[in-house]
Amino acid sequence: MSVRKDIRKVLVANRGEIAIRVMRACRELGIRSVAVYSEADADAPHVESADEAQHIGPRSATESYLSIPNLLEAARASGADAVHPGYGFLSENAGFAEAVEAAGLTWIGPPPATQRALGNKLAARRAVVEAGVPVVPGLMVPLQDGDAPDLSHIGLPAMLKAAAGGGGRGMRRIDAAEELPAALAAARREALSAFADGTVYVERLVSPARHVEVQLLGDRHGNLAILGERDCSVQRRHQKLVEESPSPAVTPAIREALYDSARRVAGTVDFHNAATAEFLLDAEGNHYFLEMNTRLQVEHGVTELVTGLDLVAWQIRIAQGERLPAEVLEPALRGNAVEVRLYAEDPWDGFRPQAGRVTAWRAPAGPGVRIDAAVRPGMELVPDYDPLLAKLMVHAADRPAMVARLRRALDETQIGGVQTDLGFHRWLAEQPSFVSGAYDTGLVAVAWGDGPPLSEDLAAAAATAAAEARAAAPAPRPTAPAAAGASAWAVTARSEALRR
Amino acid sequence: MTAYRVAVGEREVALPAGWELTWLDREAGIARLARSDEAHVVVVDGSGTDWHVTIGGRRIPVSVRTHREQLLAEAEVAARQHGGPIDVRASLPGLVVALGAAEGEEVEEGQPLVTIEAMKMQNEVRAPHAGRVAHVAVAAGQTVATGALLLRLE
Repeated sequence: MSVRKDIRKVLVANRGEIAIRVMRACRELGIRSVAVYSEADADAPHVESADEAQHIGPRSATESYLSIPNLLEAARASGADAVHPGYGFLSENAGFAEAVEAAGLTWIGPPPATQRALGNKLAARRAVVEAGVPVVPGLMVPLQDGDAPDLSHIGLPAMLKAAAGGGGRGMRRIDAAEELPAALAAARREALSAFADGTVYVERLVSPARHVEVQLLGDRHGNLAILGERDCSVQRRHQKLVEESPSPAVTPAIREALYDSARRVAGTVDFHNAATAEFLLDAEGNHYFLEMNTRLQVEHGVTELVTGLDLVAWQIRIAQGERLPAEVLEPALRGNAVEVRLYAEDPWDGFRPQAGRVTAWRAPAGPGVRIDAAVRPGMELVPDYDPLLAKLMVHAADRPAMVARLRRALDETQIGGVQTDLGFHRWLAEQPSFVSGAYDTGLVAVAWGDGPPLSEDLAAAAATAAAEARAAAPAPRPTAPAAAGASAWAVTARSEALRR
Repeated sequence: MTAYRVAVGEREVALPAGWELTWLDREAGIARLARSDEAHVVVVDGSGTDWHVTIGGRRIPVSVRTHREQLLAEAEVAARQHGGPIDVRASLPGLVVALGAAEGEEVEEGQPLVTIEAMKMQNEVRAPHAGRVAHVAVAAGQTVATGALLLRLE
């Protein structure tokens, strides 16, 4: 595998903004890209960003973006010689990576054996403990239904976690020992349905905590680059909403300790390509290994801004057998960067995913602003896929300038037709705890809750805008001559609006 | 503007004076709403009586009704309060994964009736009031669109 290969055409086995991100890197490297699309995505933004496109099945992800045979057939039909999985979907599926390699194609990501070894959180936990990496205190064995382990030496509250887990599913908090049986059954059921694996384990709940992760990039020649950390403590449902680098909580001493642990985690496997070691950081600055993500992260752009490196391009170049040069192995970290994820979710309704049609989209621009998006007016959001619309990133010389730039960029952003979390991010950018950097994973639940109530002033402004919009709207085409009485209201409204 | 009854959610709002709306992009519904001391860029979508105005990232539902439309809406609410049957509809599109009540069953207010999975999340549709399930229109495993009839409560 150490023979240098020249990749000519990459099949991007994903959709949305990440597919476009990968295609951009391909284009800059002079490599052709192939989009794949389900029936619902024939006109999706990622399809037009590629050099060519392959239809891979119906709207249901199981039969399209998650179908290994359909993706391999698309690669064969298009003559692609490599596959980039993006994040989500099959990106951490070792079976897919193996199938890609078995088909004679280059897999742009960590080796399948690495994915297998670290894919199971409980197995990864055991492996890193042997390598001297601190983990959250807990039991090292899976729990079965009806198990009643003694939790006294772990301490309460505790957390149940799915071994095959991710995205916050299969997790349950336990505040009292008697909650364990019901919580265990619920976590096992959820894990089984989400990951087809009901293995659940228990560890202490670290609270307050920050979620800090270390970006790794390794070549096929044993060189490992550590590209700084990201702080991802702004979360809902144990899923990230905002990520920044560097972490405001990480001192040089903590950073050194995090880097050392990340190196040890990578050392437990035959690692190359891109991965992220995730840790919890407690109030005393102790860190605990959580898991290793053996793929590109959603928030990789934050690291790109502070390092000036193109991580996706490096993934491709590593897959081709290139060596990491000094500027990657010893990167100069510059300034502060943050990403906010624009989701079609209603933060005033528990961040519930929204469907509907996007009617307007205005992206911010100007100095230090980066937008990775797959959204355009007229686009229908279907419930089958992730509700991420865009990632807004800003980069500035220091953290106060970063916060100011984030506020300015959020002010310039407009989305219509669906509720998004844009209002949450605007609120966040004004929050004293975020502005000072002293926040933890409890921020959304504690400080946001269900969000601030709608003020009288804002309600009145909205009412004014809607009334004006109706008055200015073209009258619906009448199907029959309108009764004089019915249209009189509209006529009055219109003339009044014009008079102002 | 006095011709319209404007309500935000269920709350009728008196339109304040002094706001000026200037369209920045009519087709996209983007406008500048300004008065002497403040200005917002707003995004408006909707038609007829049902509108949404997004201000500061918050999408606010606004109904804009003529006098006649207002009377009709009030009559509808009155009919509903007098114990008429209520159609429970899907508030979002998705896959029906579970039913919480069978035909003929008595349900409590707030009881989960249908679980709809959308974007990897399970959303529960609850009973708007106590009653008897007169008819179940969907089955588990079925995909539903927004506004689709799920069941009827009496």
